[in-house]
Amino acid sequence: MKKPIDDASSLQAINRRRDVRRKTLPALAQAGPVSVWMILFVTIPMLFIIYISFMSRGVFGDVVYEFSLESYQTLLDTTYFKVILKSLQVAVFTTVLCLGLGYPFAYYIARKPPEVASKLIMLIMIPFWTNSLMRLNSWLLLFQTSGPINTFLQWSGITDHPITFIYTDALVVLGMITNMLPFAVLPLYSTIEKLQKSLLEASSDLGATPVQTFLKVTLPLTFPGIFSAIILVFIPSLGIYTVSDVLGGGKVLYIGNIIKNQFGSIRNWPLGAALSVLLLVITGLLIFIYTRFAKLEDMEVV
Amino acid sequence: MKQLLTGILSLALVFSLAACSGGGGSATPAPNGGGSGNEAASTELNIYMWQQYISDQLISDFEAANNCKVNLSYMSDNADAITRLTAGGGQEYDLIMTCDAYMESLVAGDYVQKLNLDNIPNAGANINEAYWTAKDYCIPYLMNYIYVVYNTETCPIDITCYNDLLDPALKGQISTIDGARNLFPIALIALGYDPNSTEESEIAAAYEWLVKFNENVVAYGNAEQNLTNGTASVALTFDGNASWAMTEMGENNPLVVAPFTSDAVQLGFDLYVIPKGAAHVDLAEKFLNYICDPQVMAANLEEYPYSCPNDAAVAAASEAYRSDPARDFSYKENVFFQEDVGDALVIYNDYYQKLKVGE
Repeated sequence: MKKPIDDASSLQAINRRRDVRRKTLPALAQAGPVSVWMILFVTIPMLFIIYISFMSRGVFGDVVYEFSLESYQTLLDTTYFKVILKSLQVAVFTTVLCLGLGYPFAYYIARKPPEVASKLIMLIMIPFWTNSLMRLNSWLLLFQTSGPINTFLQWSGITDHPITFIYTDALVVLGMITNMLPFAVLPLYSTIEKLQKSLLEASSDLGATPVQTFLKVTLPLTFPGIFSAIILVFIPSLGIYTVSDVLGGGKVLYIGNIIKNQFGSIRNWPLGAALSVLLLVITGLLIFIYTRFAKLEDMEVV
Repeated sequence: MKQLLTGILSLALVFSLAACSGGGGSATPAPNGGGSGNEAASTELNIYMWQQYISDQLISDFEAANNCKVNLSYMSDNADAITRLTAGGGQEYDLIMTCDAYMESLVAGDYVQKLNLDNIPNAGANINEAYWTAKDYCIPYLMNYIYVVYNTETCPIDITCYNDLLDPALKGQISTIDGARNLFPIALIALGYDPNSTEESEIAAAYEWLVKFNENVVAYGNAEQNLTNGTASVALTFDGNASWAMTEMGENNPLVVAPFTSDAVQLGFDLYVIPKGAAHVDLAEKFLNYICDPQVMAANLEEYPYSCPNDAAVAAASEAYRSDPARDFSYKENVFFQEDVGDALVIYNDYYQKLKVGE
């Protein structure tokens, strides 16, 4: 026998239960696992990094749990400022080049029929089937003093003595670009692909030259892709240390290498943590600026 | 199309992340060997050491003879081993490789176990006492001279002392080992100071020396590749790496050990310690005794031709090992050791950091 629902409070209780079933449970099931994951492996380690950045270092390279601002004072040293500036320069340079190379290529792919396009996208990914350290080491082999590129240059008479390519900033940037290019091409491709041809036709019907069409129609409409390409390339380029480690031979140092050294050979964890916090702040600032200019949902990856 | 792209992009992210985490290099610690009683012989041995530094054959022979499983984990830096020993977690390993410079602190900090040398008779019988620091706490494994080698065909000058390395003719020619406690002693000796100085003024002077040295450096690390592929004509490196490079150069090897006249070279030992709280001490002792056996070590030296403090093993080694040009130099006795510099380590590290960042 069904009990009639007469008073307001039991109605509320039923509504609440229904809400739990209809809203909370699905939300938990959908966002729960990833939240737990992020809290365990991102939030907590990050808080710990911030915590030890305010601690002191022991002589033996251990962390002494005493409050100290020493690490942040060290950061004020011009040495670190220069490294950060240099890292920012390289990251900007990498991003600009990735965009410059990636945009025309993404445009080219997007104008192909889907079957061809997917094959071309695949081509970009093929180098990524190997471990990135392998790829970096093969760059070293290619460019080393007795390597094929130097041999060719000498054979063809372009130079009479071998050129030192390896362990230079230029090779590091080359390595960065090859590592980052897919992160520029893929978001660019997905926005350019969505660009409606009719708009371009309309533009040219109304008398715009191809250059004008590109600047006034194509470029603004693909801004979301450009923005996400910038974010996806710039942020990893700022922190990456494997490329400069392998191709820079320990002579080319960026902020990522400095952080790695603090946790490794130099063993000054609080300073490493403070540098990581600084990197977080720079990244956070960039995301903030980005969200001021573009809506977050525009950050189109796919 | 979208799904394909999503898949591709996430794969790319995963790959690049996997590459980034490669530097960490810490292996998963193996759990306690089945939690069996203390009396039963252990069936598992966990060793933490340098990669590419012990013969696979030696390990598998030991496994077969003792019916056990040896788990090797590798460090990427001496500091890693120290972290394992001092920051907790040392008990996950039964043997940890470290070097002579750290022994004093490790013993003082009570991080390593005293060895029962009665259970390791081969060590007492074969290992040269002169190369055995902190005898009750460690077993020396191999040793390394850090010296200068150069290519007689491409190096523009003759090198007979550390100060020759500052010659402007060598610009971008030197491939050198890395690490504050490897580089600073060389500068200190060049300047006539104690290689283990704790005086800030002397370390600062050594820093200035190294800044000039740095201008001639083409790369830190990878000396053997850089010598063989022609990137560097001079290397400051370990004798084992020099040996490898000389072998690689083949018949008309142009690489020679620099004929130093008076400057001392660094000699360091890699040694095994048993961390406090190790679970399989019995098997660890058996292993140490095994590697101190002259025949076993001699076979290991064929594969890893480093200098060895085990005199009997060197005597038993092949002619090729004993006549290796990398160990053919006259100043083997003119060596210095890395000593514990105590609090001054912080000064070294700060100057080293400055050197690497380059002002």
